[in-house]
Amino acid sequence: MPKIIPLIENETLKIWKKRRFFVIVLILLALIPIFTYAELKVAKNNAAKFKDWRNQVMQQITDFQNTLSSDRVPEEWKRSRRVAVQQLQYYLDHDVNPSAPNGVTFTRSFLDNAVSLFIPLLVLALGSDIVSGERTTGTIKMLLTRPVKRSKVLFSKLCALTMYVSLTVAVTVLLCYAIAGLFFGYSGWGMPVFTGFQVTGSVVDSSRAHAIPQWLYLMMQAGLTWYSAMIVALLAFMVSVLIRSTAASMMTMMAAVIAGTILSGMSSSWTSAKYLFAVNLKLTGYLDGSPPPIDGMSLPFSLTILAIWGICALVVSFGVFTKQDILN
Amino acid sequence: MVKFRKLWLALAAASLCTTAFLIIGFGFVLKDMLIPVFPKFDVKPVNPERGAPAAPVMEETGEIRIAALGDSLTKGTGDSTGEGYVKKVVEGLMLEKGKPVRMLNNLAINGLQADELADRLADDRGFQYVLKQANLILLTIGGNDLFNSVRASNAGRKLSAYSLKGLSNRLPEAMERFERVIAELHSINANATIIYIGLYNPFYDIEELRSGSLEVQQWNKEAYTVIQSYPNMMMIPVFDLFEWNIGNYLSSDHFHPNGQGYERIADRILESLK
Repeated sequence: MPKIIPLIENETLKIWKKRRFFVIVLILLALIPIFTYAELKVAKNNAAKFKDWRNQVMQQITDFQNTLSSDRVPEEWKRSRRVAVQQLQYYLDHDVNPSAPNGVTFTRSFLDNAVSLFIPLLVLALGSDIVSGERTTGTIKMLLTRPVKRSKVLFSKLCALTMYVSLTVAVTVLLCYAIAGLFFGYSGWGMPVFTGFQVTGSVVDSSRAHAIPQWLYLMMQAGLTWYSAMIVALLAFMVSVLIRSTAASMMTMMAAVIAGTILSGMSSSWTSAKYLFAVNLKLTGYLDGSPPPIDGMSLPFSLTILAIWGICALVVSFGVFTKQDILN
Repeated sequence: MVKFRKLWLALAAASLCTTAFLIIGFGFVLKDMLIPVFPKFDVKPVNPERGAPAAPVMEETGEIRIAALGDSLTKGTGDSTGEGYVKKVVEGLMLEKGKPVRMLNNLAINGLQADELADRLADDRGFQYVLKQANLILLTIGGNDLFNSVRASNAGRKLSAYSLKGLSNRLPEAMERFERVIAELHSINANATIIYIGLYNPFYDIEELRSGSLEVQQWNKEAYTVIQSYPNMMMIPVFDLFEWNIGNYLSSDHFHPNGQGYERIADRILESLK
């Protein structure tokens, strides 16, 4: 492996010079204040309407229960509401505020919402042109005429991509905390959060629920976010090997990810959709015990499915890239 | 090139650290998942007394704190503005009393029956927490206990073909449930002013069903007997408001009041609270 480090260095700097990472940071800098402002409005409204968080949670439970009694509400919604009611009740019974407004809680809920669509899109911005870009500009010929094995070239690209995926997740967390902290305060690391709810159908089994400090929860969330971001990165990587045009490879991946988000919102009757990667991306949902998009999905299931997709993507990318006729 | 060398080292170091960190986080998930943790709580279960100082009696305090509970009437079903009588009472009290009025919670649930409410009052700490803070509690209950089976057994029929058979058989059982609700309420908060809004016969305009009013009156009489023994409780009759005004005051489901109907209920309550 003597030559691999300089190769990775080269690839890393190439991505850096394309300024994609700047764009990601800029997008985060623009979006997070908007969400923070919205969240601030909600918090202010709640503070004006409710005496304390217990009253607010009680009202939330009652409102959910009222939608449950309505015949117009679709069964899937009712399921998630029933689950939410039981969890809120659990928080109330243990006198723990499920959403005390602070920087850490905001980061937690931002990650929850970003994991299935926003972060994958950022990753796509990084990874979609990693190979196809070289084709578009023609630099791939220079790259491959050097006396280095093709698999090594591809591996160095993969390493560089992994580095940026990690950085993207980390920067998202850090910026969220830094910006939201300005408004909500920087405390909240030690706040207890419950995890370990087992959801089957609309019944929550809380016998294994336990409280963990919020810093640990956030770390677990970030780990899961990274995992699903890496799978998206690997798939984007494969598509980028397979499809010559950068625009086309980006569109393919974006369509897949967005289709997955739509499917997980409406596909509970089509159960084999659970084998699609994009439906499994919302790993953080298993931490807080929100019901999975399709019955029968669990954290080990989703991790396995994603791993299979990732491994297949790797095998295909390396297989194709090392054999393919590049030069025309 | 030296500049890029430094950049590369910085990027490599940063991403190695974050990757390690993220993988550790992922490891925590696996550990949490594979080794079942059995809850050992460092979080104490709620003591309902804590954080909820028993609210002072309404007349003596600077602030009126209202909690509403019961069935769809308290929820405001049928009012196209969604306000129901509760919000109108809150607004009215603000104008009349010149004191701050705080709406704590509206805990009403559509279709709630007296037995369900009694169970909640007995078990649900959240309910108890809210009710302890209140010094004015608005309550409607019993309508579903009496009328649900009637509505179910007549489902799909035209209103004129409704039959109120079985209404009077249900009365004793429903009244027992009601007594439980009142007793639970009293044990949770013995100081708050509690206002119970009586029932009305929503089918008064249908000749065959007019006699249902007798059962409703029977209910109201017995409910009054229960409530009368508690000095802090009051019953507001509303049956007379609706009897000749079904068309004006009931919403299109021919069961719940409409906005105007709720307005009149609120007026009654405000009058009695003067």
